[in-house]
Amino acid sequence: MTVTDEELVARSVAGDSDSFNQLIIRWERPIYALAYRQIGREDDARDVCQEAFLRAFRALPGFKGQAKFSSWLYRITLNLCRDWMRRQRRAPFVQVPEGVDVSDLAAVQASPSESIEDVIGRKDLGRHLARAMQTLPHEQRSAILLKEYHDLTFQEIAELQGCPLSTVKTRLYQGLTVLRRELERSGVVTGVGGRS
Amino acid sequence: MSDRQFCGNVDVLMSYLYEEGDPREREAFAAHVAGCEACATEVAAMRAVRGGLAAWAPPETVLDFRIVREPESRPRRVAWLTMPQLPAWAQLAAASLVVGVAVGISGLEVRYDQQGWTVRAGWSKPESAPSGVQQASTAADAPWRAELAAFEQKLRSELRPADAGVSDPGVRQAANAGARRPMGDQEFMARVRELIDASETRQQREMAVRISQVMRDFDTQRRTDLTRVVDGMGALEGRTGAAVAQQRELLNYLVRVSQKQQ
Repeated sequence: MTVTDEELVARSVAGDSDSFNQLIIRWERPIYALAYRQIGREDDARDVCQEAFLRAFRALPGFKGQAKFSSWLYRITLNLCRDWMRRQRRAPFVQVPEGVDVSDLAAVQASPSESIEDVIGRKDLGRHLARAMQTLPHEQRSAILLKEYHDLTFQEIAELQGCPLSTVKTRLYQGLTVLRRELERSGVVTGVGGRS
Repeated sequence: MSDRQFCGNVDVLMSYLYEEGDPREREAFAAHVAGCEACATEVAAMRAVRGGLAAWAPPETVLDFRIVREPESRPRRVAWLTMPQLPAWAQLAAASLVVGVAVGISGLEVRYDQQGWTVRAGWSKPESAPSGVQQASTAADAPWRAELAAFEQKLRSELRPADAGVSDPGVRQAANAGARRPMGDQEFMARVRELIDASETRQQREMAVRISQVMRDFDTQRRTDLTRVVDGMGALEGRTGAAVAQQRELLNYLVRVSQKQQ
């Protein structure tokens, strides 16, 4: 039987640090992915991830369980990402190199069913997406990341961002529209024309 | 349901796209999309973007940090007892200095004589020495002379049994004869020199054994390292071969693509 996050949180508050380490194991990948897609640097994303868990551990006695533990953790992570970007005063997303790096591609471990063409296509799409995401405001980008990669509901995102549910949908729509325009412009995604 | 619902209502479009919200509302919008080309195009475009987002993965990385509680802090030892900031030699020197000063203050006297070892502090009253010894000391006009003589006598007595341990009766007789007569200074010095020579020989032998042991260890380590280097080179060659093959495949692909474009 899987122990729930809430049970692990309760044990951690009681002083069982192993329980908190189980929470880390459970959530470190999603938190790292969120941080990476926000700030675009692997090392810094790892640092933000570590800092997020450390802050959560310290603030655990004050966590009353009004929200899910994961939502609370996402909020901490997004705040840290915003602080990081303000501190760095640089473009929030990864500076993707121009063109395809042949040696980088050669190092990619493609799955057996994935051809070189697929790998290049996937890398190309990811590169253009990363660049397009740079143009989005922080709130739109956060909404898209939380919805697309972390499967939060509209309501959870609204609570996390502290805004009405309709605002979340508007942010999602606007963000996706910008991404669509950028991808069409770069020619990565075709045949999706229409209103923008 | 008309086009106005989509055009004026982003909420429904997002609910439909993410399949979240009121099911009846979504069903109604699905029916609308089936008959509206503009809305169908919009939905398809949004889905294509979402498909692109799904392909964007962060790089793999190692995340192995864990929360570790520090053990309960033990009561600190007094700093001057441990002197952690001083190296060992300095601590030893300081200890020697303290002992030396203490000995000087107490007037400690350490003596070895016929009665054995004597250790006496300056503040304790000296034992009344036997009158004979006291007279002899006075006659010699220096107490250390008597002590030296006693020490020499002790050494001679220790050397005699060694001579007596010889198995040959003739030699033993000569040794007994030698034991009976007092050993001369030259003979004594020769005996001491012999002992020193024997000690040096023993030390040289031990040194040779140790050197050979070190050389043997060094040789073993060298062989192990060589084996490891050879293994590493072999593995590297294998990896390099795989990378070259992958590069070649990639270049072939690029050539094919460029030929298609031409």
